[in-house]
Amino acid sequence: MTEITLAVNGTAKTVDVEPRRLLADVLRNDFNLSGVHIGCAHGACGCCTVQIDGVPRLSCLTFAVQCENVEITTVESMGGPDATHILQQAFKSEHGLQCGYCTPGFIMTLAPYVDTMLAQRRMPSDEEIREAMSGNICRCTGYHGIVSAVRKAIGDQLGSEAAA
Amino acid sequence: MKADSPKHIGARIQRFEDVRLLSGAARYIDDIRLPGMLHCTFARAHTAHGTILEIDTSGLADLDYPTWVFTGKDTAGLSMKAHQDYPEMQYSEQPLLAEGKVRFVGEAVAAVLAEDAYKSEDAAEQLFIDCDPLPVVGTMAQARDASLPPLFDGWHSNVIVQRQMKGGDLEAAKAAAAHIIKRTYRNQRQAGVPMEGRGVVAHYNNADRVLTVWSSTQMPHLVRTYISEELDLPESRIRVVAPDVGGGFGVKGQVFGDEVLIAWLAMKTGRPVKWIEDRREHLIASIHARDHEHTLEAYVSADGRLLGLKADISVDNGAYSTYPFTSAGEPGMVGKVLPGPYDFQAYEATFRALATNKCSIGTYRGVARPSAVFSQERLMDDIAAELGLDPFEFRLKNIIREFPYKNVLGFTYDPGSYAESLELMQTLLADDVAAAKASHASDTTRVGVGIACFIEQTAHGTPDFTRRRTPIETGYIAARVEMAPDGTVTIDLGLQNHGQGLETTMAQVAADALGVLPSSVYVRHGDTLTTPYSVGTWGSRGGALGGGAVHVASLKIAEKLKAIAAHLMQTTPDEIELADGQAYMRSAEDRFIPISKLARAALRNVDQLPPGMLPGLEAEQRQDGPRDGTYANAVHAAVVEIDVPTGKMQLKRFVVVEDCGTILNPLVVDGQVRGGVVQGIGSAMFEHFVYDEECQPLTTSFADYLMPLAPEIPNIEVHHFETPTPLTPLGAKGLGEGGAIGPAAAIGNAVANALGVEVRETPLNANAIWHLSAHLRPAE
Amino acid sequence: MRPASFGYHKATDLAHALALLAEFGDDGRPLAGGQSLVPMMNLRLARPAHLVDINALPLTAIERRGDVLHVGALVRHHRYLSDPLIAAHFPAFLEAVHWIGHPTIRNHGSIGGSISHADPTAELPAICLLYDATIIASSTGGDRRIAARDFFLGAYVTALQPGEMVTAVEFPIPPAKSTGAFIELGERRGDFAIASVGVALQWSGRQITGAAVVCCGARLVPIRASEVENLLIGRQLDAPDAAAIGRRFANTIEPVSDHSGSSAYRKHLIGELTRRTIERACQQALETA
Repeated sequence: MTEITLAVNGTAKTVDVEPRRLLADVLRNDFNLSGVHIGCAHGACGCCTVQIDGVPRLSCLTFAVQCENVEITTVESMGGPDATHILQQAFKSEHGLQCGYCTPGFIMTLAPYVDTMLAQRRMPSDEEIREAMSGNICRCTGYHGIVSAVRKAIGDQLGSEAAA
Repeated sequence: MKADSPKHIGARIQRFEDVRLLSGAARYIDDIRLPGMLHCTFARAHTAHGTILEIDTSGLADLDYPTWVFTGKDTAGLSMKAHQDYPEMQYSEQPLLAEGKVRFVGEAVAAVLAEDAYKSEDAAEQLFIDCDPLPVVGTMAQARDASLPPLFDGWHSNVIVQRQMKGGDLEAAKAAAAHIIKRTYRNQRQAGVPMEGRGVVAHYNNADRVLTVWSSTQMPHLVRTYISEELDLPESRIRVVAPDVGGGFGVKGQVFGDEVLIAWLAMKTGRPVKWIEDRREHLIASIHARDHEHTLEAYVSADGRLLGLKADISVDNGAYSTYPFTSAGEPGMVGKVLPGPYDFQAYEATFRALATNKCSIGTYRGVARPSAVFSQERLMDDIAAELGLDPFEFRLKNIIREFPYKNVLGFTYDPGSYAESLELMQTLLADDVAAAKASHASDTTRVGVGIACFIEQTAHGTPDFTRRRTPIETGYIAARVEMAPDGTVTIDLGLQNHGQGLETTMAQVAADALGVLPSSVYVRHGDTLTTPYSVGTWGSRGGALGGGAVHVASLKIAEKLKAIAAHLMQTTPDEIELADGQAYMRSAEDRFIPISKLARAALRNVDQLPPGMLPGLEAEQRQDGPRDGTYANAVHAAVVEIDVPTGKMQLKRFVVVEDCGTILNPLVVDGQVRGGVVQGIGSAMFEHFVYDEECQPLTTSFADYLMPLAPEIPNIEVHHFETPTPLTPLGAKGLGEGGAIGPAAAIGNAVANALGVEVRETPLNANAIWHLSAHLRPAE
Repeated sequence: MRPASFGYHKATDLAHALALLAEFGDDGRPLAGGQSLVPMMNLRLARPAHLVDINALPLTAIERRGDVLHVGALVRHHRYLSDPLIAAHFPAFLEAVHWIGHPTIRNHGSIGGSISHADPTAELPAICLLYDATIIASSTGGDRRIAARDFFLGAYVTALQPGEMVTAVEFPIPPAKSTGAFIELGERRGDFAIASVGVALQWSGRQITGAAVVCCGARLVPIRASEVENLLIGRQLDAPDAAAIGRRFANTIEPVSDHSGSSAYRKHLIGELTRRTIERACQQALETA
């Protein structure tokens, strides 16, 4: 067992874990963050995506012991219990989710992408958006609503900036 | 409905369930954690067919933590029994843990428990399963080979069941035919793969003798019934809860042995027990789908009229029969639905299920119909090509136009928009058809357009299951609606919501009947403790039957509210209108009472009730499906571009014209269609569960089992016709599966059109396309 | 699907890492991005007794050192996409990176990890072979420089010895103007390749002066087209006769056959992709000429 201190969603906590514990399991079990979902546990579906220092990362391919001295972010911190983040809101209005199991992984993958596009003040093509989500599998929506949601999140922000 | 108040049914309302799913607050099966819980890992068969000589568990003694191990000897006699009451069907049972023999790679042989999932996995590795291999029955041909031993003692062969269904005079049709066209079509084996795998948690409370089972299932009540029967426990003391379920698609629409076993283990160990399926287990050992071969012979008149159809249908069922739809369900469904949307009155189908040493076939979105429609619609194009007819014209010549229509097997089709859908699609595709034609001069880049025209029997009622004699037995959905003293509404729904948006659509239905806002309706589901007995969410019945049940139950409450309002306003109930949270007087809309006040009268200020009226505002309705179901219809179209030298195919466009009757919520309807279509695209192009000659599975991870990813998929265009059915209370037809039914056929036809070849099988991956386009390459 | 137990050791510097690897020998594996190793561990197809986490090591440079481009073992795949030296001298490398997995994998996967894993369909081993890279394998005994052609021995088998780890890969910077292309064919974006082909050409005037062709996915290791490369040299950029060269290359290979592609299909694909990569590379050169 190894004692580690992890900074998750802005709060640091010390836990005692076996080195082999996947970050996904530690976040779920020791931090009670049930928004971290495990879809395949071999890095091929994106369900377990979290952010480490703002960069999307597969928490099923990461050991918790590797994650000291970094900032870990999960979906719970994105828009709080009311899911107020612009991308979460766009997923809702564009029907970018059905069963919801893959959804946190998509949000954690795509929120930084939306930020990048906003920083570049650029609306990506559908093809680019689809490439950005190519590591995440959604079995329910056929991706259509997710593409629309990304477009809407970017478009609304660009539009409101233009209007301001 | 008050003339100026908006209707909620049909409105594009955003889903109420989304916030908890988006924020991470949803609770799926793996989020159920109980004190003292043990984790179960299954040791599974590595041999496809073999006699178990020994299960050596001695390695567990070396571990420095407690473990529990159970094998088929401990669970002897407990099994999954899924038998269709056909006299010719051979009986199979799947033991909860293998007894004596193993019959496919992945079959559960032993359950190993420990206090942590990592440890139970370590412990399961310590088991050594010594199997004496038996000859493997690996293909349909081998299953029909009498020299290979049957999978089960006492069986006469590996043909589990073979039956016929027929109607009309096929000999006469054949005699009258100017063209006889015979083809064989095949669809590959697939897995279902919801993004959340399956999982079960069970806990037995010794104090009140209640067994609680949490399962990622689409059918909690059926799980309860089966556990009760198999473990001989009173059903009243079993509670089954389906928490948030991360996709089902039919995979979770059967009762599995592990659901019974985990419950048994919890009782045996006196501890809560949890099993969470891992992805490899899901792929090799939950259920598989498709794996069909159909030989069709069509009889066609000189002027291009279908006169009759003869079909021979085989399904490679794998080793066991699944509950409650059985091994006979899949091939039988093909036989039943092959007549499709076309007008002919002579038909004969022979269908059979074959036993092999593979994972069992169960229900997966579309259930047999993606394969049936692939064959039906490939055949239509093959006939059209042979007769030199345009695929649209040939279909329009044979499409059913008069309703109700009694088909060759005696099933009655309710009104639809078959011809209109084809005609609209013809218009939508005009440019693509021209582009395809132009590309056919090229040997390097080919464009193809293909359509699939089909109907889907949905929301089947009890008579349909009685006819089929399946263990499902019935098809109704129940809803109990209750209004609280503050006027808010609770629906306890017999459906289980796992992506379909039922927490929103059912609220819309109740809101219209009760004159309240959808946001004041709370939909509960998936828990047998609170919800009335129902068969669960499968078979495209949620909107049609669940919505119907909610509507009828809500109307019963509305009647009572109107009676109370009439009493208080000194008028008659037929003068009262419920809308916008108020009870209005029709003749004087400035006179109204808040519905919350009526609710309070009904439940608390009961002195205000009309004389003789009992307190309370609740109603329950069980809505059964129509005898023959209600028939949704659709036309799918695919436009593909093929890079001939590499076989790489790009899906340029996918268009759907569909008719599911009354649309409850267009946001949800479009989502269901698009999601289904993309699963169908997976069936057509990517997904293939592969076994080698020894029935060892080869595609056991997401690196090998390929589901559609975003870059390969175009935006899916959806157009609607709305022909309400007279057969369900709201006019809604089933919708959930339709999207998945057409794509294999539409893409198959598009490839055939692009390359100028006949396409006989799926998947149409790059390798397949390359082999199909040999005629376009210079000889090497 | 959770990994078997292992000991975790966070290396503070290279000497520490190498000492740990020396101590563990066959039982130790370096852990970099984990994008290849950890899936294998979760499936329990790999079960190292000790993992030496090298992520804190400063093996992150992409820089010119004399005549070579030095790429540290911990360079993550996404960095190539914006690196001017890669774009200028190794265009096939740049194109290949687009085919590696998906964005999240590219953010974390490292070159050291990818080539040590040696998946037969992976892009970077093929790129190393294509550009005659030298792999620096370090151990407490010092550095061993291994030519790419001697490094990949089989599917998931490399020339690395127990106690050794890849610390850098050196790509000789071509003396002349470079062009190149890499085309992969898989079922979906980011999938393991059914086959892929990379081409690197040097040119002067309108003539090809140097050529390398590689294919992966066809056999258990990437294959160089040494027999046909010489045929390209001296040809004109606007008439490389790529189709014939592609066919000749394909004819030297007996590809594997499996459910994702028959041997005949892969063979044809190698020829076709070779033609396309050569033509694309030549076209790009002509556009800059």
